[in-house]
Amino acid sequence: MKKVIALLLALVLTLGVLGGCSKGGDKTDMEYVKDKGTLIVGITDFAPIDYQENGEWVGFDADMAKAFAKRLGVEVEFKVIEWNYKINELNDKGIDVVWNGMTIADDVLAAMEVSNPYLKNAQVIVVKKEDADKYPTAESAKDLQFVVEAGSAGEETAQANGFNYKSAESQADTLMEVSAGTSDASIIDLLMAGATIGEGTDYADLAYTAPLNDEEYGVGFRKGSDLVSELNQFFKDAYADGSMMETAEKYGVQESVIEQ
Amino acid sequence: MFQEVIIALSEGFLKTLQIFFITLVGALPLGLIIAFGSMSRFRPIRSVMRAIVWVIRGTPLMLQLIAIFYGPGMLLGYNIWGTGNFGRNAAVAVAFIINYACYFSEIYRGGIESIPRGQYEAGQVLGMTRPQIFFKVVLAQVVKRIVPPMSNEIITLVKDTALARIILVYEVIWAGQTFIKKAGVIWPLFFTAIYYLLFNGLLTILFWYIEKKLDYYRG
Repeated sequence: MKKVIALLLALVLTLGVLGGCSKGGDKTDMEYVKDKGTLIVGITDFAPIDYQENGEWVGFDADMAKAFAKRLGVEVEFKVIEWNYKINELNDKGIDVVWNGMTIADDVLAAMEVSNPYLKNAQVIVVKKEDADKYPTAESAKDLQFVVEAGSAGEETAQANGFNYKSAESQADTLMEVSAGTSDASIIDLLMAGATIGEGTDYADLAYTAPLNDEEYGVGFRKGSDLVSELNQFFKDAYADGSMMETAEKYGVQESVIEQ
Repeated sequence: MFQEVIIALSEGFLKTLQIFFITLVGALPLGLIIAFGSMSRFRPIRSVMRAIVWVIRGTPLMLQLIAIFYGPGMLLGYNIWGTGNFGRNAAVAVAFIINYACYFSEIYRGGIESIPRGQYEAGQVLGMTRPQIFFKVVLAQVVKRIVPPMSNEIITLVKDTALARIILVYEVIWAGQTFIKKAGVIWPLFFTAIYYLLFNGLLTILFWYIEKKLDYYRG
């Protein structure tokens, strides 16, 4: 009996694999998207990258995705996905692209065709402006009293570097601590730092230094997709004509854009 | 898991108790001084004291904590609290003591003013000095009368200690809440209620006992 079941299972699996092969046909990914007339973009709610305003998806990635779809001559459709299942969604054609501030890492590179990096993120150390020059590296800052958001990437970074830290409820609370001098330094996202501290904010007295653990964002397509080279070309053109920087400035991420 | 939660919450509750006792030790006497000030026959002192009581009772304790801890650094550009835990605890003590002293002072004032004038006059007729009249005749009666309102205020204090977390002093609520972010479990937060209930139960019994002990004379 067991053997029969095993045999049946083997048969089913073989059929599945064969079926998977035949489904793709000889259409390229770009032709597939153009034929159906929509580019389905897999996202999560993540300001200032992809977030809703008056019922519409906006943000740096959302706006760029709209422009890319326009260039392809197709409609754009945003689909909120479970982030852990992004690769499954992509392979099942539930979405055509993962475009949501995705950090380029080994697992992502193995499973997807990934674009050139377009935005950099990092955990950065925030200190008083006048002290900024004193702490260019993580090593130089190790005697400071840190404050980080509980459960954040900043807290992980503080642990990894062996910093002495207190945890607060939000990244915003940590900035108040540093500004008041009740903690020496905070660790927050570079993207948030770009938007909330420095000139023109209430935290003009703060500055960020020493990026720790650099991360880069990329856009993910199905393995072997020809849309990647099209997107890389789109990034080059958008960077060259200034529209990429313009969009970035709209969402306060201009300092993180990577030259294309 | 359960054991881990109990250890974390108990550590948090020790901080809660520390804030509670330090506040009582500071605020009980300070409240009496403020009460004398607000009953002073010297008008400027009386006005200043009543203005202080108005401000402290008229604004949230949470705001007072933030102002006392972050205010010096942000507004004056000089942080007086340092960057260690000691400064945070000290700021909590200062904010809580001032706040509770103001509430206590009004309770004291009510108690003191409830003693009939006739007793002061009787004391004077017997040749006692003013301090003698206050400490030997009036005070014991005041203590007796203010036990119920004081117990109210003191039980409120136990729960108000939770505000200390706003300046990163990790009391029991904070300890419970960390489990939401760390492990995705919410029951430790609600479990903190047990600690409050047990301690407030003890206080309730204590006040009941004190009231009974003081029930030697009905005036």
